[in-house]
Amino acid sequence: MGASLPPKEANLFKLIVKSYETKQYKKGLKAADAILKKFPDHGETLSMKGLTLNCMDRKTEAYELVRLGVKNDIKSHVCWHVLGLLYRSDREYREAIKCYRNALRIDPDNLEILRDLSLLQAQMRDLSGFVETRQQLLTLKPNHRMNWIGFAVSQHLNANASKAVEILEAYEGTLEDDYPPENELCEHTEMILYKVSLLEESGSFDKALEELHKKEPKIVDKLSYKEQEVSLLSKVGRLEEANKLYRVLLSMNPDNYRYYEGLQKCLGLYSESGQYSSDQIEKLNALYLSLSEQYTRSSAVKRIPLDFLQDENFKEAVAKYIKPLLTKGVPSLFSDLSSLYDHPRKPDILEQLVVEMEHSIRTTGSFPGSDVKEPPSTLLWTFFFLAQHYDRRGQYDVALCKIDEAIAHTPTVIDLYSVKSRIMKHAGDLTAAAALADEARGMDLADRYINSECVKRMLQADQVPLAEKTAVLFTKEGDQLNNLHDMQCMWYDLASGDSYFRQGDLGRALKKFLAVEKHYADISEDQFDFHSYCLRKMTLRSYVDMLKFQDRLHSFPYFHKAAIRAIRCYLKLHDSPKSTAEEDEMSKLAPAQKKKIKKQKKAEARAKKEAESKSEESTASSASKSGKRNVKPVDPDPHGQKLIQVEQPMAEASKYLRLLQKHSPNSLETHLLSFEVNMRKQKFLLAFQAVKQLLKLDAENPDSHRSLVKFFLMAESISAPTTEAEKLRWSVLEAERPSISQLQNKSIMEANKEFLGRHEDSLVHRAAYAEMLYILDPSKKTEAIKIIEDSTNKVVQTNGALGPAREWKLKDCIAVHKLLDTVLLDSDAASRWKSRCAEYFPCSTHFEGKHSSVMPDSVYNSSRKSNENGDTPNHLVGQTELSDGQLEAFKSLSVST
Amino acid sequence: MVCIRRATVDDLLAMQACNLMCLPENYQMKYYLYHILSWPQLLYVAEDYNGRIVGYVLAKMEEESNECHGHITSLAVLRTHRKLGLATKLMTAAQAAMEQVYEAEYVSLHVRRSNRAAFNLYTETLGYKINDVEAKYYADGEDAYDMRKNLKGKQNHHHAHGHHHHGGGCCSGDAKVVETAQAVDAKAVSK
Repeated sequence: MGASLPPKEANLFKLIVKSYETKQYKKGLKAADAILKKFPDHGETLSMKGLTLNCMDRKTEAYELVRLGVKNDIKSHVCWHVLGLLYRSDREYREAIKCYRNALRIDPDNLEILRDLSLLQAQMRDLSGFVETRQQLLTLKPNHRMNWIGFAVSQHLNANASKAVEILEAYEGTLEDDYPPENELCEHTEMILYKVSLLEESGSFDKALEELHKKEPKIVDKLSYKEQEVSLLSKVGRLEEANKLYRVLLSMNPDNYRYYEGLQKCLGLYSESGQYSSDQIEKLNALYLSLSEQYTRSSAVKRIPLDFLQDENFKEAVAKYIKPLLTKGVPSLFSDLSSLYDHPRKPDILEQLVVEMEHSIRTTGSFPGSDVKEPPSTLLWTFFFLAQHYDRRGQYDVALCKIDEAIAHTPTVIDLYSVKSRIMKHAGDLTAAAALADEARGMDLADRYINSECVKRMLQADQVPLAEKTAVLFTKEGDQLNNLHDMQCMWYDLASGDSYFRQGDLGRALKKFLAVEKHYADISEDQFDFHSYCLRKMTLRSYVDMLKFQDRLHSFPYFHKAAIRAIRCYLKLHDSPKSTAEEDEMSKLAPAQKKKIKKQKKAEARAKKEAESKSEESTASSASKSGKRNVKPVDPDPHGQKLIQVEQPMAEASKYLRLLQKHSPNSLETHLLSFEVNMRKQKFLLAFQAVKQLLKLDAENPDSHRSLVKFFLMAESISAPTTEAEKLRWSVLEAERPSISQLQNKSIMEANKEFLGRHEDSLVHRAAYAEMLYILDPSKKTEAIKIIEDSTNKVVQTNGALGPAREWKLKDCIAVHKLLDTVLLDSDAASRWKSRCAEYFPCSTHFEGKHSSVMPDSVYNSSRKSNENGDTPNHLVGQTELSDGQLEAFKSLSVST
Repeated sequence: MVCIRRATVDDLLAMQACNLMCLPENYQMKYYLYHILSWPQLLYVAEDYNGRIVGYVLAKMEEESNECHGHITSLAVLRTHRKLGLATKLMTAAQAAMEQVYEAEYVSLHVRRSNRAAFNLYTETLGYKINDVEAKYYADGEDAYDMRKNLKGKQNHHHAHGHHHHGGGCCSGDAKVVETAQAVDAKAVSK
């Protein structure tokens, strides 16, 4: 380095490097300028000066200088390395790798560059390259532990676990018998456990077990040891020992479901589906009875049998399970049992049981058949349970009645208001739900959980400014949005994006959805520093887990949701080009509102301009302060206005679609969106692929059916193909059509009819049929509407104690309403539908039900508040809008069993 | 009804979400990664019967000081899952691992002066004592109690199971590396 310089300048050059390492950038800059005064073309100095400037946020100059450096001294590995570092700092890893490779061509054994290259290869998952580099590092410096470990890990990642074991064994061969020293016990433990996991992964279970047992004294993490041992014992079929060991683990932690699962597997009593023969159930029952005597403190041992027990046995067990939890007042009891509601008979049994308990406590103060007096709170928690039970069954009126009884019983329990808020949301009154959540929040202002819930409800009710004001109460600098953003608060991004989307503000909506994508990019970036850190720290099992986690990061729910929503935004942008959409909106508004909006826009434009000039200022001032990084740049597009100016929304949508296709291939939504996007892009074969995927995943889903019909309607309407490409497409479709069973020897019209035939009783399927009928033949509009209106909302439950539950779901009814209104364009039918549904869903604001907050006499009616989105509503929430007579009726009904 | 188990990397997103729902002190994902990639034995989650993460404890070893000790970085349980003793179980599990794997002498934590519920849990149920008061520890200006609990000699804990024959010193400090990983904008371009 700096070899070509005279001694004085060579020393100065060393000073630049040292200053860079110690972050004394100003000093480094001075030294660089001193050299450049004498040798203005010295490549390595130019490069180092550029690298220094890069740390001072003077990027443009940095790149200029570093590139000039390479140009002036193309044979210097330093110059290439520095250019690589520059790219790396900007996350341009591919470019960085190229530069490092150039540097290594000049200086092939440079350890530092090799190490840097290996990190990039790990980050980019260039696994064969990674193996090569790590091998070279080991060859050059075999006395470093890290190089052995690094080579082993690289082999493992490159799908060669047994090679990795060999390397670790070779490394162990270099160690003394009394290794490790006391201060390296943890590291050594991790290495042994890593090696055992490698043996397990490569299928050498016996060898893994042998290794584990041999090294037992050197393993300080005894829990990992036992968990690894039991897994291996099970795999080699030493079930008796595994059985014993599971019981040891259970005695240490009797609430770990995985141990129970493992134990059941050892005993041949495990089924993935949860379905068991009566013989198996008997054996399982005996097993858990004996376990519950052993682990008296465990609740898992009592909860698990509720899954496999049936009918009378279930009833007895669940009663025994519930009672102490009601007495104790455990708020999560319902959620703990909620998976039982997927069973055909268990919800009825639960209802009967808990209604009996309610009646008994009310009349005698004790549970049925007991003379132990319950504390007053038991009745409260029984109401609480029943409210959630009826909510789950869609009987919102009964649910509200129960929760109001609970509130009347003890008005100070915050959880009651949270649950009432949730019921209101399900019942279709988001405004009331938000008001209730806000009331709960007001009861304990120090609890962030109820604040978060309230913010979520406010966003669901499209009260964004109020939600922001409420959230800000718990963020540090008072700059709520940025803080939530900096802390990667993804639920907030999604919920506020959804609200903007509903309100038609696609810019802000996209901004929020893409923010989630940005968080994922940052998380993916986060792994970088750990490639070297973990090799030193020896946390290799966690490290490899982390890499796998990163590889499927985009399959996690937040990203999945955000990508779906972003694509929907782009679809909307495509369907309504910006200018016309805005005009449409404007033309619908009253003049006063128009004025208001114009004023708002002007203010926004002004604010934007200010923000831009400020951001310029701040970059300028930060540049003068040496080395001060992390000056938060002002967002030049805070409202996503630039995002919606995108030229080709479908090209943007395709980016996210590809990620969905890769990471969520089993989601119906993925292929529905692929269908929509590709139809718009006129990529018909890709759209056809999407249809085939939809049919494969769920052929009877109404949306799958819609896509199928729409696709073939389009395909058949195309006139005879003319170009080569069209002919090719045509022939592919001709060849493929017979493989679609729905269309074999049938017209689309007939296929649609058959679809209806298969699902005559289902509202959503009838609606899909009607919509397709209309699309296929607009003259059949009346018939289509009749099909919808002739649907019946059946009573699903007959033996319930408190009135019938009906089949239709609120969201489906709203979708049908929109279909009548905006697709079938029949406002009369739409309004008939609305008043019909208002009867089924009296709390629904969409249908303007008589108990909903849009009614002028509702306590939640927004016009009764002074300022809907400004002040925090501060009113008392009264009883739900049920007349006293109704309330009495419910009370008397509840005794009927 | 709720399972307490060691956290895996796959739990981290849910832990972060749980933290953001419950607590005013929040961290970026990198900080969670830093914990699990440094002390994988010290992170525990509470998983409800539906597989949802309803609580967690995030803990670490202090590696710079002479005395090897553990520190509770963050503990949260969803409000909906109170009254199950989850906080106690999570803390006990993390403490046992500190003691058993790292031979920690004691464990420390910070708690808001105004947080009576947490304070009571730490003092009465878990046996912590106030070591110091840190003025204006929190961003909003509130003081923190610096609390400690001794771990040595508490061998009959239900999570611990013997094996204390190795000396302390697991906290072999590699402070420089830790710093690199911890710094949010670590450039880590060592030349």
